[in-house]
Amino acid sequence: MMQWFWAFLGSLGFSLLYNVRGKNVFLAALSGMLGWMVYSFASPRFSNEFLSYFLAAMVVTLSAEAFARWQKAPATTFLIAGIIPLVPGKALFYTMRAAVGAQRGYFLAHGALTLSIALAIAAGIMAAASLMRTLMWRMGK
Amino acid sequence: MDQILLARLMDIGEKMLVAGAEVNRVEDTLSRMAKAYDVSRVDVFTITSSIVVTVIANDGVPMTQTRRILAYQTDLDKLSGLNELARTIAQNKPDASYIEQEMNRLEQKAKYPAWTQFVIYGGIAAVFTLFFGGTAQDALASGLLGMVLKWLVRLFQGLENNAVIIHVVCPFLVGLLAVGMIRWGLGENLEWILIGNIMLLIPGVSLTNSIRDIISGDTMAGLLRMSEAILISLSIAIGFGLASLVLGGIIL
Repeated sequence: MMQWFWAFLGSLGFSLLYNVRGKNVFLAALSGMLGWMVYSFASPRFSNEFLSYFLAAMVVTLSAEAFARWQKAPATTFLIAGIIPLVPGKALFYTMRAAVGAQRGYFLAHGALTLSIALAIAAGIMAAASLMRTLMWRMGK
Repeated sequence: MDQILLARLMDIGEKMLVAGAEVNRVEDTLSRMAKAYDVSRVDVFTITSSIVVTVIANDGVPMTQTRRILAYQTDLDKLSGLNELARTIAQNKPDASYIEQEMNRLEQKAKYPAWTQFVIYGGIAAVFTLFFGGTAQDALASGLLGMVLKWLVRLFQGLENNAVIIHVVCPFLVGLLAVGMIRWGLGENLEWILIGNIMLLIPGVSLTNSIRDIISGDTMAGLLRMSEAILISLSIAIGFGLASLVLGGIIL
């Protein structure tokens, strides 16, 4: 549970770093926390990292899009900081460590994990964004 | 549409890309704005480091302008303002002087003062150390290092504009300092302290955005961004690797 709170603060920090202002800072942090909550629910249930990150990224994007419409700001404002807790920093660190230590097996395993997480996040963002676009188009009609 | 007006529109595109907009958005915004004025055709080509726009006016005279983007400075508040301005332009077709005036106004909008950046860097490093499972002591060490890191990054950005060199030197020094801190009794787990600080340097957003670009069809922009991200990650690895070599393999 504590980790949800750190995810919230982590996203909050990045949104300040990228000069998000006012209420939007908290909304961006909220997106980050929601994403991590989804991940921490999904990961033990599906024991599938790709799927868990995919779902988490979808939720971050959907919440970012919702906040964007509510606050009349581009979705990026919430998305960039919100996605941060999902970013495979740890996996990338292990990959780098294996590369420097010339441990080929570890390097390949961690490298593949890093890439698959990045791919899952990107796919989640794309899926949610196009879902949103379709919905909006329907509603606009 | 004349050259001056096109130059003002290019300014908006350039500032958007610098402030952190996706390639897709920049292309879309530029072509929408240009099409609002009396033109028969607009072609926009954007990659992460360059923008090219050719406009053919109704009298058939083509105009082309190019911008080269060398450095980025993510600023989501400015991006939001630029977006709004672009929407106004597409609707009301204002003249060049109005756009210039609005751009100046955006430049003068409030930013968080410089000293808060240090606090934010320290805070982010400490929070991510805790996030990944470090102890409170680790977080304290990591937070202090985060502030030092901000100072180092600023120092080296003043001296040297090369991203690779900055991302080798800063992790190298942070690695040395982290080991020093633990020796000195501040912080317990080197791994979590370092990961907290790495979150500040790692181009995770570029890595994710690059795959987004590729999936959405901007293959060129995506590949460029991805090679930048990989290059930076490698530089960070080399920086920590060097620190590890100097200290005889303690870090990694």
